[in-house]
Amino acid sequence: MTLVALAQRLRDGETSPTEAVEYYLARIDALDGSINSYIAVMEDEAREAAAALEGSQPRGGLWGVPVAVKDVIDVSGSPTTAASDVRRDVAPADRDSAVVEGLRRAGAIILGKLNTHEFAYGAMTTSSRFGPSRNPWALDRIVGGSSGGSGACVAAELAAGTLGSDTAGSVRIPSCFNGVTGLRPTSGRISNRGVVSVAFSFDAIGPLARTAEDCALLLGAVAGFDPADASTVDVPVPDYTEGLEKGIEGLRVGVVRSLLGANVDGRIREAVCEAIDELAGLGARVEDVEVPMLKHFGTIQQAMQFGEATEVHLETLRTRLADYDPDVRARLLTGLFIPSPVYALGNRGRLLAYELTREAFREVDVLVAPTMPTLPPRIGEDTVDLNGEEILYRLTIIPFNSPWSLVGLPVLSVPCGFVDGLPAGLALVGWRFAEPTLFRAGHAFQQVTDWHSRRPQLEQHAGMVE
Amino acid sequence: MAHELPSIDQLRDAAAAQGIHPSDDDLEAVQGFLRVLVPAFAELEQLVPLDMRPAAMFLPTEAP
Repeated sequence: MTLVALAQRLRDGETSPTEAVEYYLARIDALDGSINSYIAVMEDEAREAAAALEGSQPRGGLWGVPVAVKDVIDVSGSPTTAASDVRRDVAPADRDSAVVEGLRRAGAIILGKLNTHEFAYGAMTTSSRFGPSRNPWALDRIVGGSSGGSGACVAAELAAGTLGSDTAGSVRIPSCFNGVTGLRPTSGRISNRGVVSVAFSFDAIGPLARTAEDCALLLGAVAGFDPADASTVDVPVPDYTEGLEKGIEGLRVGVVRSLLGANVDGRIREAVCEAIDELAGLGARVEDVEVPMLKHFGTIQQAMQFGEATEVHLETLRTRLADYDPDVRARLLTGLFIPSPVYALGNRGRLLAYELTREAFREVDVLVAPTMPTLPPRIGEDTVDLNGEEILYRLTIIPFNSPWSLVGLPVLSVPCGFVDGLPAGLALVGWRFAEPTLFRAGHAFQQVTDWHSRRPQLEQHAGMVE
Repeated sequence: MAHELPSIDQLRDAAAAQGIHPSDDDLEAVQGFLRVLVPAFAELEQLVPLDMRPAAMFLPTEAP
């Protein structure tokens, strides 16, 4: 069931908050042993929150809806581990993060904290001190990351929706690999207060759920200006669920052709091209677009990201170095050796990238490209097959994800097909604060396709009777 | 940015100067990253025009 459908059933009294919570707790109990999407299940708190709602008048768009959040996001009373040994003794958060405050204001119930790549600084979710998350579509495959637990949780229907965080693809990659819908919002759309930072000028919290409509409802609950976070922008928050049915007749869609070449698994390219044909069939005006220098945008982000990330960890690199997982330790150490002029160069390059991308958006409303160019690698492997060639997985990520983080644009990833039983994703990129356009396009696409409603066959494996 | 890849000894000394003491294995992994990054940054230096302004960073907007 979609998050929106569950919210409606709760409002209509067809199911109760307690029934909804118990439904998910039973599924977590039966299925999460093999997936490992949760770091902490907050059973008692969830049951208490549900009981407190019973008999009350439904208020808020997420009234009684059980959700879960990545464990870099503070939930009052629970330690934020960031899946790291470095934080194994961290005290429980004494206050909710801004986004959890938003979820609760909308009536949501927090089910627990979700697995992540250590400190959200990597795209595999295998470095967690809580063990790797496993892909519900193929348990020997990674879930992507860093919000891997958030993606797997939605795919396995262990919460109605989740929040992740995205610095260079960390919502989009697990959305793609787990066959769910996810949004990296416009930078500054959502407060990062109470969230463990990766790189402050790129970090963005984002929703993952079954559908674009689900993500629209979640975004509305957590978006908005926050005087406690200077990165947020004081732009009104619309009702993102309004106007979804308007369709995309006349929408100008630009295909980023340089991201649809030999750098993409041919079978994924085919799925993405078919998805673009679907958009055209819905009335979109499709044309090819090139963003000059796009292939350098990832380098520009890295010029800034390494330093921002390392600075956060300087003290613990001095005192707790051995407690970091080797891959995260190597990334953080690398930041020590990038000269400060490179950061300044990156910041000038960032405005150049912004200007070049803005030029492209004068001709189109939405850009489209594959979310990820390959299938997820197997757990324990750091290479992936790309058209018969084994290449480093981490190098496949940057060209498809960093460009849009760099210039702070919203990206909606929607499932658009399957290759060898594993999901492929279509990235819809909008101009700043164009989330309503992305949701409208994603919703229209999901009205004529069923990729988003396909489910991994987990219940049979677990012996569950649905 | 210099185009040469720093040696393990140079990396170790630079880390120690910042109070951090990685192992040789760590520093070899760092070299793996730098092997890709150093030439990419050098190329970027040639691509960003000197008169290009920096992107804005955010500052609070509250009254004094």
